[in-house]
Amino acid sequence: MTHSVENAPPASPSRRKSFTLSQRRYLAAALLLLPVVALRLFTTLYPFIQTILLSVQKYNPAFPPREYVGAGNFEKLAGDLVFQSSIEFTLIFVFGSTLLQLIFGILVASLLNAKFRLRNLARTINLIPWAIPMVVAALGWRWLFDGTYGWITDLQTRLGVQFSWLIDPVGARVAILIVNVWKSTPFVAISILAGLQGVPEELYEAARVDGANPVQSFWKITLPLIMPLTVTIGMYMMVWQLSVFDLPYAMTSGGPGFSTSVLAYMIQQQVATLNYGYASAISVVMFLVVAVFGAVGLYVFRRVEVQI
Amino acid sequence: MIAFLRRHRGQILTYLGFILFAFVWLLPFYFIVSSSFTPRYEIFQTPPRYFPQNLTLENYPNMMNAIPFWRFYLNSLIFAIGSTVVSTTFSAMAGYGLARLHFPGSNLVFLGLVLSVALPQVALLVPIREIFNTLDLNNTYLGLIILEASITTPFTVWIMVSFVNQIPVEIEEAALIDGATLWQSITRIVVPAMRPALATMLIINFINGWNEFLYPLIFATRNDTKTLSVGLVSLGREAIGSSRPWDLMSAMSVLMIVPVLILILFGQRAIVSGLTRGAVK
Repeated sequence: MTHSVENAPPASPSRRKSFTLSQRRYLAAALLLLPVVALRLFTTLYPFIQTILLSVQKYNPAFPPREYVGAGNFEKLAGDLVFQSSIEFTLIFVFGSTLLQLIFGILVASLLNAKFRLRNLARTINLIPWAIPMVVAALGWRWLFDGTYGWITDLQTRLGVQFSWLIDPVGARVAILIVNVWKSTPFVAISILAGLQGVPEELYEAARVDGANPVQSFWKITLPLIMPLTVTIGMYMMVWQLSVFDLPYAMTSGGPGFSTSVLAYMIQQQVATLNYGYASAISVVMFLVVAVFGAVGLYVFRRVEVQI
Repeated sequence: MIAFLRRHRGQILTYLGFILFAFVWLLPFYFIVSSSFTPRYEIFQTPPRYFPQNLTLENYPNMMNAIPFWRFYLNSLIFAIGSTVVSTTFSAMAGYGLARLHFPGSNLVFLGLVLSVALPQVALLVPIREIFNTLDLNNTYLGLIILEASITTPFTVWIMVSFVNQIPVEIEEAALIDGATLWQSITRIVVPAMRPALATMLIINFINGWNEFLYPLIFATRNDTKTLSVGLVSLGREAIGSSRPWDLMSAMSVLMIVPVLILILFGQRAIVSGLTRGAVK
């Protein structure tokens, strides 16, 4: 894998004199880092600052003038029914998805870690929901949930349950949650699989010798040992799923009504209608939610670490 | 019989678990594929059929007549490959710089890069739109590639840093002592050693680029830059309610899944090891 060192010809002496080794190191580091740092400044840091500045302005390019309104956008948000519904469903969506993904993720990871012949096949199958485009998954599932032609509707009707998933506000929310859990559990499962492989085999052997059954060793050995990793993944998933907007966009268009609208979807809708100031205010709320998630996550992470 | 069941209880449970898992994971996949080969009249039948009775290929040409499918396909490829190459190259450079060339503040730069993913993509949209209007980057490959490359760099840098940290530094030091320049040690020793990480991140970033929806939706509104994911959703929106062309949409979905499916089938190990920073064997 690595080339032999002898292949490298000696450097010209004149070049070596012009810079010291550490100076050349700093120069190299600067050159190597410049592209990524420039990209991130241009597409993240600058827009971040601008968004905060825009959130206190009334700004819609279609309806000038642009003016400073202080907390005006936020006051408007407080009375906005769509915003209330969106923030409610955002929290349900983020917490509900993450919790279910962690539970199913641990189960699936155990399967992917089990010694059986189809293990490699299982790992390949596991990647399919993760790898297919979210809009493909959203539209496929939308059709499965369809009130007239959907398989799920048909099966439940045969069992005598009359229920229209996508027309009922709660049903639509549950459907979105199901799709999201299906789509992202594979990623969680792989991440947890890494943790499972880090648990020393000797611990299980020792437990077996002491007469522990598999269920006991799962609760007493596996779970405590993978807990810090699980919390980290949970944190990551929560922050990341805050910005999922393609799922409601493609599957329900935020409906029925605005029951499946999330903050990310609401921002996109406001951007599409050129309500830039208002969209920025919702974005700032989102930043705050991220900050709270981060702080709480860090606190929980420290607690779990201490316990072990 | 009971003795057999008892002795192999663990294995039997594992296989039962596998069957349940495979069923749930593959059901929507099967549904999409089978719909794409089902004639339209049969798709819109109640009660629905679980196994198509009359298989057909007509949905595919019908779909290609309804939208500029191959144009979208080409756009998606350019977008995904372009952003993948840019992101992976830049991240490998930065990853090496951060892992090896320690300088005052290098940890801070690393932390800043990795934590910047916490800022939701959608919440930064307005200023980016303003920049794009000013620089005339709407409906350009360049603009789209910059955005998508940027969004995947934090994770890629993170993977690269942890990978470079696993390469023994002694080889490079020996080369430098033997008179190699920094540049030579990078191109002849580091790059070949990083090949597995590069391959993994090329695959993962391609999948992310291929599946990206938000940026093309906002910044590629014309057919000459529109990508498949946006085309698929708008195909479904042209009609309302039950007249949604699921026959065409399922055919399009299948062709969108093909590239990522190939990558999964051949790159499963690389993807799994990449997503777990090399922890899964």
